[in-house]
Order: sequence, then C-alpha cells, then structure tokens
Amino acid sequence: MIGILKGMATTMKHALDGNTFTVKYPEVAPEVSPRFRGVHKFSQERCIWCRQCEDVCPNDTIQIVMDEQRNGEEYNLHVGQCIYCRLCEEVCPVDAIILTQNFEFTADTKDEFAYNKEQLKNVPWYKGSDPLEARNPDRSAWVGEGAGEVDYQ
Amino acid sequence: MSLQEESETPEIESGETELEALLDDLIVDRDDHMNAPAFVIRPDTVQETLGRLKEEAGYDHLSLVTAEEYPDRFESIYHLKKFDDPTDEVSIVVPTDSENPVSESAEPVFRTADWHEREAYDLVGIEYDDHPDLRRILLPETWQGHPMGLDYDQDRPQMVPLRENANPLQEDQRAESDSDTMFVNIGPHHPATHGVLHLETTLDGEQVVDVEPDIGYLHRNEEQMAQNGTYRHQIMPYPDRWDYISAGLLNEWAYARAAEDLADIEVPEYAQIIRTMGAELCRIAAHMLAVGTFALDIYGDFTAIFMYAIRDREEVQNILEDLTGQRLMFNYFRLGGVVWDLPEPREEFFESIREFVDGLPDRLEEYHDLITGNEILQMRTVGTGILPEEVAKNYGATGPVARGSGIDYDIRRDDPYGYYDELDWEVPVEDGCDNFSRLLVRLREVEESAKIIEQCVDLLEDWPEDERNIQANVPRTLRPEDDKEIYRTVEGAKGELGVYIRSDGTEKPGRFKIRSPCFSNLQTLPEMSNGEYIPDMIAALGSLDIVLGEVDR
Amino acid sequence: MILQTESPLPDLLADLLGLSGSGVAGEFVAALLAAFIVGNVMLAMTGVAGPWAKRKITAKFTDRIAADRIGPAGIGTIPADALRLLSKELIVPEGADRPAWDIAPLIVAGSAMLGFAVIPMGSGIQLADPEVGLAYVFAVASIASLGMVMAGYASNNKYSMLGALRAVAQNLAYEIPLVVTGVSVVLFTGSLRMSEIVAAQQETLISVGGLAIPSWFAIVNPFAFVLFLAANVAEVGRNPFDIPEAPTEIVAGFQTEYSSVYFVLLYLGEFLHIFLGGAITAVLFLGGAAGPGPESIGFLWFVVKIWAFFLLTQWLRSAAPRLRIDQLIEIGWKGMLELSFLNLVLTAVIVGMVA
Repeated sequence: MIGILKGMATTMKHALDGNTFTVKYPEVAPEVSPRFRGVHKFSQERCIWCRQCEDVCPNDTIQIVMDEQRNGEEYNLHVGQCIYCRLCEEVCPVDAIILTQNFEFTADTKDEFAYNKEQLKNVPWYKGSDPLEARNPDRSAWVGEGAGEVDYQ
Repeated sequence: MSLQEESETPEIESGETELEALLDDLIVDRDDHMNAPAFVIRPDTVQETLGRLKEEAGYDHLSLVTAEEYPDRFESIYHLKKFDDPTDEVSIVVPTDSENPVSESAEPVFRTADWHEREAYDLVGIEYDDHPDLRRILLPETWQGHPMGLDYDQDRPQMVPLRENANPLQEDQRAESDSDTMFVNIGPHHPATHGVLHLETTLDGEQVVDVEPDIGYLHRNEEQMAQNGTYRHQIMPYPDRWDYISAGLLNEWAYARAAEDLADIEVPEYAQIIRTMGAELCRIAAHMLAVGTFALDIYGDFTAIFMYAIRDREEVQNILEDLTGQRLMFNYFRLGGVVWDLPEPREEFFESIREFVDGLPDRLEEYHDLITGNEILQMRTVGTGILPEEVAKNYGATGPVARGSGIDYDIRRDDPYGYYDELDWEVPVEDGCDNFSRLLVRLREVEESAKIIEQCVDLLEDWPEDERNIQANVPRTLRPEDDKEIYRTVEGAKGELGVYIRSDGTEKPGRFKIRSPCFSNLQTLPEMSNGEYIPDMIAALGSLDIVLGEVDR
Repeated sequence: MILQTESPLPDLLADLLGLSGSGVAGEFVAALLAAFIVGNVMLAMTGVAGPWAKRKITAKFTDRIAADRIGPAGIGTIPADALRLLSKELIVPEGADRPAWDIAPLIVAGSAMLGFAVIPMGSGIQLADPEVGLAYVFAVASIASLGMVMAGYASNNKYSMLGALRAVAQNLAYEIPLVVTGVSVVLFTGSLRMSEIVAAQQETLISVGGLAIPSWFAIVNPFAFVLFLAANVAEVGRNPFDIPEAPTEIVAGFQTEYSSVYFVLLYLGEFLHIFLGGAITAVLFLGGAAGPGPESIGFLWFVVKIWAFFLLTQWLRSAAPRLRIDQLIEIGWKGMLELSFLNLVLTAVIVGMVA
C-alpha cells in the first residue's frame, strides 16, 4: 500500500508543479542543434561536378547528369528517399552540398520530393542560419592525407 | 575448402590442441577465422561435435549460425563461445554440397539453433535434418527462392498457385468441436507487441497453452544491403536502423569493431573515449524506453511512467543531437574513429551532460517510487515470466535478459573493447529469473552507464588540445584481403550484438551476417509464458525489450 | 431524525408549471421534464469529462500540455470531438449478433442514467425517492454488466469475448463487497431511502473549536469508506481494476469492435458509471449535497464530490498498475468479501452499543 501511495504522490507532485516538457510545436519552433542534418541545400556556383557525392551515397539518392564535355546539367536528389547520413556533405571538397537544419517538408505525392538543382538551391536555412561553421568540417581524411587516390574526374 | 593459411591466423592457444584432441575423429579440415580457430566437419556429425564441445569443453553459448553459398558448396558456420569467457571462441564449419544441401540440425544440442537454422534455410537455402520445424521464418511461407543464394533471381514473379495461399489458420480455428482451447492472433497490430510482431497464441481460458512468435514483418535483409555497400562509408549508416530505438551508436560499434579488426585499423584513444561516452548515452536512452514501455504493458496506456521515461530520454537525445547531428539515425562512427569532435563550446556540452548525469539519481528515485516500489507491480512481475539460467543459456539469451537470469555475462567487461576496461563500473546481475529482475537490471544498468559517462567526461575535459585525434588515417578505399573471416560482438542495448564479415577481396563484404540479440531473446518467449496468464505473457514480452527492426533485420 | 422536507423534482416542476391539476398526464409530463433535465446535466458532465477533462488531467499528471488547440484552454475540443466521432463510419463486424450488438451500448449507457433517478443531488433535485432507493441504485448499476456481456459476445471477436468474460467475473466479485459495505451504512440510518441516508449525515458529530464536523459516514467509519471506494473503483472498471478493457492485453475488451455512435455511447456510458459511482459514494459517505453555504447551492457541492471521485480514478490511472485477472478475483473473493462482512459485523456492534 505504501508503494502505491508513493507512486500516487509522485504523479501528483508532477501534476501540481505545472511544468511541461512538451512544446506547442508550430508556434514554438524547437531548438535544433547546429549539427542537425535536415534537407539539403545545393550550390551550383560552387559545385565542380566531381560526382563524389553520387558515388558515396549509400542508397542512390543523388543523380547527376552531365553532357559530353562533363559540364553539369542536372543535379537531382530525392529528399524522401534520403537517409540523411550526411556522407555527401562530408565528401564534398567545395561545400557545394550541405545539409541544412530544415526538417520541415511536405508533399502530396512522393515524386514531389525528387528535388532538382533549382529546388535544392531554394531550400531555406532553418531560422536563417548557415550551419557550416558549427559543423567544423574536417575533410583532412578525405582530401588531404587519405592514403587512397583522390579522384576528381 | 578455400583454406588459406594466412599470416593472421590466431596464435596457437594451448586450448586449441586440446580441442583438436577432443574432436580428433570428427575434424576434416581447418579453416581458421580471425577471431577463433575453426574446424571443418562432415554435415552428419554436427550434433556429435557440438555436443562434445558443449559438454566436455564448456562451449555453452551458440552465439550465431551463419550460412552462405559458395559456387561449389553451401556452408553453415556455428560460432561458439563460453558464457564464462566470451574470448574463448571456436567456430565449426559445416560444408554441404550444392546439389543437395542437407546438414544435420544443431537444435537438439542448442535450442537457439532452431530459429537460426530456420533463418539459414529461409535466406540461403540449406536444409537441416532432424530440425523440429524447418519452415521459413522471415519471409512469407509462399516465397519463391532463397534471396541470399547465388542463383536467386529477384525478378522472378512471386506469384504462386492458389493452394499455396490457403489460410494457414483455418485448420487451427476449426479445431475439433469439443476443443477447450481458443486460438488468438495477438498482433501484428496490437497495442503491446512493440512493433509488428505476430504471436500465434493458443489459450485455455485466460491461460496461454502455447505461443509462437511469427516474425519477419519488418524484414529488409539488412545483411544484403550491407553486402552491397562499401566498407569505408556506405555500411555505417545502416546499423542505426537495426535497433532503431536510439541504440544507434551501439549498433554502429558492432560493425566498426568487426570491420576495424578485419582491416587492422587502430582507433585513437581520444576517439575511443568519445565512442564509449556516446554508446553509454545510447544505452541509457534505450533502457529508458524499455522501462517506459514495460510500464505501459503493465499499467495500461497513458501511464505517467512512460511519459517521464520519454522526457528523460529526450534529454539524452538532445545531447546526442548536439554530438552527432541526429536524434536516432546517428551515423557518427567512422572506421578508425568518429566523424566529429565534441561540439564547440566544449564547456557547454560537458555542462549539459553533467547536468543530466547529476539529475539522474533523482529521476531513478522517482522510477523506483513509481515502478519497483509499487506492490501491485511486484505482485504482477515477481515470479512471473520465469526464465531459468540453464534455459536462458540454451537459448543464447544475452544482455539484460541473461543478466536478469543470473548469468554474469557482459561483453563490455568480458571481451573488452573501446575504453571500458580502463573505467570503473559494475555489471548488474539479478538472479530472480523473472520479469522483475529484468526490469531491475535495466534500471541498475542506467546507473552504471551514468558512471561510465561521468568518467568519460572527466577524461575528455582534461584531454590535451593537440592530441584530440578523432580519426585514424584510413585509406579512402578499403580492400581487405580475400577470404578473411571475422566474427566480433559488442554489448548492444539488448544484448550481444555481433557482426560476421567475410571479405572477398573487393571493397564490399562477401558475406555480412548480423547476430541480433533480440532474435535470440525473443525465442525464449514460449519458454517464459506457456502456462501463464495472458497479462504475464504480455509482461514477459515487454521485459524482453525486443525491437522488431533488429529481430527481423 | 429529520426527514428531508423538499419534494422530489417532478412534484416541484408540476407545481411550478401548474401541471399538478391535470392528473396523471400532468404528472407524467412533469416527470418526463425532470428526467430530461437531470439526464442532460449528467450527459453534459460526461461530455466535458470524456473529450476534454480527462485529457487535461492525464496531461497534468504526465507533464504535457494536451488539448489546447480550439477555444480557451482547449474547451472547444468538446464540440469538435463530438462532431468527429458522430461523423465516423459505423463499422459492423461480420457475423455480429445483430440486435444484441446494437442494444448493448444503450444498456451500458442507460443503466447508469437510470441510477441517477433516485440520487438526491441537492438544491431539491431528485427525480424519485422510493423506499428502496439504495437497493434500486445498486440493482440498475449492475445491469451494465449485462450490456458488457452482450457487447462482448455479440461482437464475434475473441478479444471482445475475453473482455466480456472478465467483466462478468470482476463485477460478480466486487458487487457483493460493494453492496455489503453499502449495507453497513444502512445499519446506521435504518433506511434504504436515499433522502433519509443523506439526512442522517447532517447531524454534528463533534465540534472542534466551533467548527462543526458533520457525521458523514466517511468520518464515522473510514474503514468502510476506503473499502467502498476500492470496490467502487473495481465496479466501474478503472485502474488498477481496468481489466475488462486492458488495452495492452485484449486491445479494448468488450468494446473492441465498436465505432462511431455506438462507441460514443459505450464511452459515455463508462463515464456515466464513474459519475454514478461518485454519486453513490457521495450520498452514502460524504453527506450527499451537504457543504458550507446555503442549502440552495447544494448541487454545486454534489458536483464537486462526484468530480473528486472522477479525479481519483484518473489519478489512480496515472500511477497504479493493472492487476492480473486471477489476482483480481482472489482479492475480490478472499479479501474484499471477508473485510466487508467484518465491517458489517463491526458496524452492527457499534450501532448496537450506541443505540
């Protein structure tokens, strides 16, 4: 009986202290860590079309189309298929693709999630902040000292 | 046999010659693995061999059964260990010819082989003689072909004749008219099955006569997916998705440990500490959810305990989000280290961890007031869902389930990896063998994890700034030598989580096999609940703390 | 012993509307009107409790916000939910035993409504005051078991069947201690008439520093009160005795297959039963509508008392685990029954000595 009363006292304490740990979501936007990985943002100006992101992607989410002169034509990314592992950002030598902290995206059908390079470019920063600095990208293992060959094609 | 006496074969231990003497008349060949000596035997001597190893050499833990198909043969590998000393391993390799792949079942010796061999039959196509119930386990009964076999044609239509689709339950439902039992499908959609699990239950009034878990609803063939990814980066995101209940880093470590040992990569000490800290944070998060959902099963929905557990888990997830960038699918480990150093400003990060760890005793006090101290809960859980020590070992139960049955077995301590052996912590063991013990073990493990985290934070705080090396220098492309085999385990949130990799000289694994603790633990459910009441079966299921993503893979 | 002087509500209404002159027809109309008022007040209360108050209370216990989207403090959830539930498709399971399946929700909700007929709610609100009021209220409240069995059996679902069987077993085991404990109160009052039971509790027990403590039976015999509360919680099937529903074991018990309007009826029926349980507790142990202030606000005190009982059930729900069915039966037959008879004998001895 004592144990039950103790349990009841505990829940009553929680009821009376008035604290809540949930938030009113759309009104109160949650704090997101600077490292959080959300929808991608792509910069065609920076991209050197090295195709490393396409290569590394574990589930073929990224599709790059180039013409005969190896000029980039299309950069497509299916944000609904993506598993948000951030490997594409990690391998990119020029920070052309970066995962914003933006986690809010909706669509009526799945194919609307296949973003082309324009759509990827227009993905907004979450709360207007560019997370690149906070990410503290360490690419030494990828570009510089790695023992394997660097293949920029 | 693709037997290559490589330079890396384990140094000849003294026990090995004894083993050879013990199995002298049975050994056909040697095919050593990187982690253990491996003996090749004939397919009709499996029971004899495993029986001798179990009874006379003390190898009482059948950790995993790996099956694979080679161009010229099928092979089943039995990975044996000792509960007393998991570093003492031996593998038994059973080749069978590819025309007629029949091998003797190990089920009479190790009960756990039942499901493992069914999986081997299902995915690879080896048949096991003397197996009590050789049916498909993960794929539907009507599936055509064995997906991990070499000749599997994935474009083959899965259309089957109508008779194959006969209702498998019809017979049971129309039992003899004077039958006293009732057949009930609990799940796949049921409030207490923790996912898509189907329990085929036979009831006698309120009592469970027989329960048979039917799994596979969440099967994605993660093993095949890993075989299609490169060692260096493409496999690491997927372990997060085996046990997806925030135990991600623990799973990643299972792959990292096997692959790093396979490719001979040394992980910097600093990265090991970060890994240890992150893994223990994950363990707390996973155990919080386990305790919360267990309470849900016993108290009914909308119980306060579940929400309090979620609230505390949320704090762990906030810390993990700061560290890894995600709340569940971390992808934080890399071969040879971790991807990121601790977030700046470091003081703030340490502060948030300390705040959580310091607040934990008060919260645990609350849990004890709400759960373990409650007389009704004690009535419900003490002495129900009994899993005796011997039975647990026979089923290969590990983790909190084994430790709740008095088996003092924890990979972190017995087969140390990471930074665990440098730290000061205990392995909680309860010998009640019941639901209550398993609950208590989890709550005490949370305390121990907090201890480990505290020590890690102390170490990280004082770490000299110029020695913060988070990644070893790992080649961009890893190509381990051909035909090296390794089986490595770590202590996941639910138990012994293992990964077996066979390299084939390319940058992708030739065979990737996951030892899922939940898979073995779930197998004990009938043992615990036959003859008990329905609520006790539900409680036993909750106390096993299964995650279907890991059971089905 | 002072008899309550105010007449039951129908007579009052008849007088008020000048119907008393028109014979039986007038009485009938007045009674119908009174029942309409009482029934709607009770339904309105369950309407508040079900979709809104319950969520808010549970949220408080679990540190959440809950139901805050429509209207101030989310009170607009009530009409929104009503609309939502009523507009849902009514799914009839294959092989349902049709008339029984349709009647069951009505019985569950109706039996509780019937119970309110004899409850003196203060401020002169009482539909009828028969001689055997207490026996009547226990009798009609237990009709709900019949409804649950019908619902469970007629649904053609194994979970429903299990839930129905559990409901019967549980109600059988706890009905007897409940009634026997209730009878111990009758030993004090010497009457089954509800108004007399209430009146008997108005006398002052002792005065402490000028503060008169009334002789509510909860104060006179706390042991009986606790026993009655426990049996009552079991009777209305709340935690730790919510075994007939037991969501994690048998999905939703007897109401698994119900949807839309029928579900609303069952759901409201359960809340009505909680309120009826609170009402009986208030009448038997908490002095009915008594409370500080003028007698005309007695109804408010009455409502406060039933809501206190509702709050108790929700509080238990947040913190008490569910018993197993065999443990429940064991506690019922081996514990509660003995204790309730012991209580009866003790009360008889006390009454005999005092009187």
